[in-house]
Amino acid sequence: MSLLPQAALAAGTLGALGLGLLRRPSPALARALALAAPLAALLLLTLASPAARPPLFAADLKGLGWQFAAYLAALPLALRSSGDDVETALFLGTTLGIGLLCAAANLPMLFLGLEFMSLPAYLLVARVGEPGAAGRRLEAAVKYFFSGALAGALFLFGLALYYADAGTLGPAASAPGALGQGGLALMAAAALFKIGAVPLHWWLPDVYEACAPEVAGFLSTAVKAAAVLFLMRVVELSPAPAFAAWLPAAGALTALVGAVLALRQEKLQRLLACSSLAHAGFLVLGVGAWERLGRDPGAAAALLFYLVAYVFMSNGAFAFLGATGARSRADLRGLAARRPREALAMTVLLFALAGVPPTGGFLAKLLVFWQAVRAELAAPVLFGALAALISLGYYLGLMRDLYFEEPVPEPAGRAASPEAAILRTRHGRGDGNPDSVQAAAVLAVGALGAVLLGAAPLFIGGLWP
Amino acid sequence: MSPLTTLWVLPLAGAGACLLAGRLGRGAARLCALAAAASFLAAALLALLPCLAAGGAAVFAEGGRTWAFGISYRLAADGLSLSLIALTAFLTLVCVAASWTLDVSAGYWACFLALASAATGVFLARDLFLFYVFWEATLVPMFFLIGLWGSENRRRAAVKFFLFTFAGSLLMLLALLALVTARHAASGEWTWDLESLKGTPLGPAAPWVFLGLLLGFGVKIPIVPLHSWLADAHTEAPAAGSVMLAGVMLKMGLYGLLRVSFPLMPGLTAAWAPTLAALAAVNAIYGALCAMAQADLKRLIAYSSIAHMGFCLFGAASGTSQGLAGSALQMINHGLTTGALFLLVGFLYQRAHRRGLSDFGELAVRAPWLSFFFGFATLASIGLPGLNGFVGEFLCLAGIARSAPPVFAAAGVLGVTLSAAYALPAYQAVFWAPAGPGSASAFVADLDAREKAILWLLCGLMLWIGLAPAGWVAFLEPSLRGLVR
Repeated sequence: MSLLPQAALAAGTLGALGLGLLRRPSPALARALALAAPLAALLLLTLASPAARPPLFAADLKGLGWQFAAYLAALPLALRSSGDDVETALFLGTTLGIGLLCAAANLPMLFLGLEFMSLPAYLLVARVGEPGAAGRRLEAAVKYFFSGALAGALFLFGLALYYADAGTLGPAASAPGALGQGGLALMAAAALFKIGAVPLHWWLPDVYEACAPEVAGFLSTAVKAAAVLFLMRVVELSPAPAFAAWLPAAGALTALVGAVLALRQEKLQRLLACSSLAHAGFLVLGVGAWERLGRDPGAAAALLFYLVAYVFMSNGAFAFLGATGARSRADLRGLAARRPREALAMTVLLFALAGVPPTGGFLAKLLVFWQAVRAELAAPVLFGALAALISLGYYLGLMRDLYFEEPVPEPAGRAASPEAAILRTRHGRGDGNPDSVQAAAVLAVGALGAVLLGAAPLFIGGLWP
Repeated sequence: MSPLTTLWVLPLAGAGACLLAGRLGRGAARLCALAAAASFLAAALLALLPCLAAGGAAVFAEGGRTWAFGISYRLAADGLSLSLIALTAFLTLVCVAASWTLDVSAGYWACFLALASAATGVFLARDLFLFYVFWEATLVPMFFLIGLWGSENRRRAAVKFFLFTFAGSLLMLLALLALVTARHAASGEWTWDLESLKGTPLGPAAPWVFLGLLLGFGVKIPIVPLHSWLADAHTEAPAAGSVMLAGVMLKMGLYGLLRVSFPLMPGLTAAWAPTLAALAAVNAIYGALCAMAQADLKRLIAYSSIAHMGFCLFGAASGTSQGLAGSALQMINHGLTTGALFLLVGFLYQRAHRRGLSDFGELAVRAPWLSFFFGFATLASIGLPGLNGFVGEFLCLAGIARSAPPVFAAAGVLGVTLSAAYALPAYQAVFWAPAGPGSASAFVADLDAREKAILWLLCGLMLWIGLAPAGWVAFLEPSLRGLVR
């Protein structure tokens, strides 16, 4: 029973591939499939019970909770599917890989899930988006592929070392020796690579910047959620805390570097990419706290809450780019006068991303910092708070562009080029076309979710471990 | 709805109503704002009555329902809370009335009402999570008030204001988290309730928690050297926004010290009292010296706020009943006098689009009412006996003189003297000195009936507190009794 969500996603992937065999692939059918499979997976997730689990898989609450976050994070991209059958298959394949990764209980399964998730994701980066920017996307995909392959290799090497030492592919019974420690460190490095933690972050801003905004939203939430769980599974292998010293430090450092990098960005998508780096830092800090607290379920729940809140915030913010066509900070100037609703939704999201109450983003940050305070991580918490402050700087800067600056006429370069306009409309981008309507819907749901999650203390009490 | 919940929900609903009414037109939004502000004031005064009957003791404790993470909805009001809420409501109405002729969109009015709602929440909350959420919620409307309707450097000032206060709030939040975690370690129970958190054993972290709270509240007060956001924010905000900043938001900082820091850690409060008194002395003197150096009337008043908050801090640090009552009273005084001064500068700026000290002269002849009210508020601000400022400053200094070495009281007296040294020459330069060439005085018409009515109200209150302070002190004193050392 507990693999039913993955089965639904596998069926969806195969179905999308089968669509290509039809003489005339139907975009409507592909769109329906893209949306139906993750929805079915979400629905079937409620049927999965921790009791009945097949071998090699765990159906603990962590695995189920993370699958929930990941499938939820897949919906915005599903909603904005272009109806291309190959893209749909790639998207569902990635989601399936995430589902497998979240459910995996031993190391080979974990690796399988990781590769199953990563391989279609590389192609997704290369393929989805405006035809005009295909070259840049290809470059990003290659970069993503090489960094991913490196992470995979690190993981396999670490796995071999760990197996040689501990003699098991699951959690070790006793504290691993030097060889096993080295293996654990390599596997954790692979996970940090996928998360994009400093100093293994160099690929992330380039990839997130070049791919389509909706794909960037997907990568920064669904794939990142899986990567965080991946890290936690590696951490769980050792009976005693193995990473206590440097995981929180890596988290705080990532948050700081991400925030400082984002401060200087002019391009919106790169800015959001760097900001996602900062958020990844808070997540890694949370994982560090979770380990130090003896893998406390409350700390894991705090991380999950952060991820769910971030699903709304990040997808909403990336959808803002699709809904308004804004690409750089200069495009934002005075946008509030022309597009008041989009600006308002974005403002809510920016406050949530910055962690200003009463939004879900605030509660998420509060919960993660709280766990870190409980774990007595004084220095990482202070540096994390500094990163939160710096990140507020650029979020406020965006609001300042939106509301306080004088409106500027539509940038001449884009509007004047007829080719660009044709490309935009043909591919379904720009004002008033279906895609920008869908993007606006994602934006609105993101803003609404970010606000409603702020009221979570009112109803979450019974669910909290 | 229970009375205390009504107090913060009413202005918030008013803000929403303003935005809706804005679809009908700017006039409708303005009327809506007036109605909301007036009903908010009425509600605040109604809530004040039972508390007055109880002699300022705590009334209306509300809530107790606990949600996840030990967060509970707990409100309570006593003399201190209700006076500050009444001040907030009164100043909101004043701001709406003073902005009546501005051609602004519905958002302007909604920001004032949302700010009033959040500030009221701060003064009511007895759960620290709730307190923090309300505390932060005040920033958002003020950010937009400064950034959208301020003067030339508004954009920079708005961002600076938000960043500075957020930095303080983050430290405060970390301190609160440490406190709540320590409570859990000691008793196994998660709670953010102010009452239950008293006496939490903090061990070696205690000074850090105290410092975190002090920094969080100190940015708002502001305590020198955390003050650098204030001059920009006050100067660039629209006139009514400056009134709310000075009259309400600065009070939140001191209120936080009196309501949260001091009761939670009485031992550390006593230990840190000399430091606080020294900081207060720096505030009083440094603020006055900075004010003396200003050429811009609005900036001068902004710096005078720093000096005035120094006196409040003297009273709070003294730990004597006179000092504490004086500190609370001085908060209200400062809201009234500085509010009046900011309004008058706003009226002046509206007419002449200038506010430099040297841009005017002979205004007393051209605008006698403006001159009269400005003189009145200036005298109240520098502590002329018979007006409110004298009572507050006297009580604060009497308190510090009783509890600390005389050097602090001497520094306070020096601060009082300096306040005359910056306020009177400024008043003279703008209203009495001969107008130079290029003076803008010719553009200044006298106050109209609406403006005069607002200022009569403010000045009437100043006179009332100045002539009959006993009732006010008696009303505020019970709330602070627990803090007397």
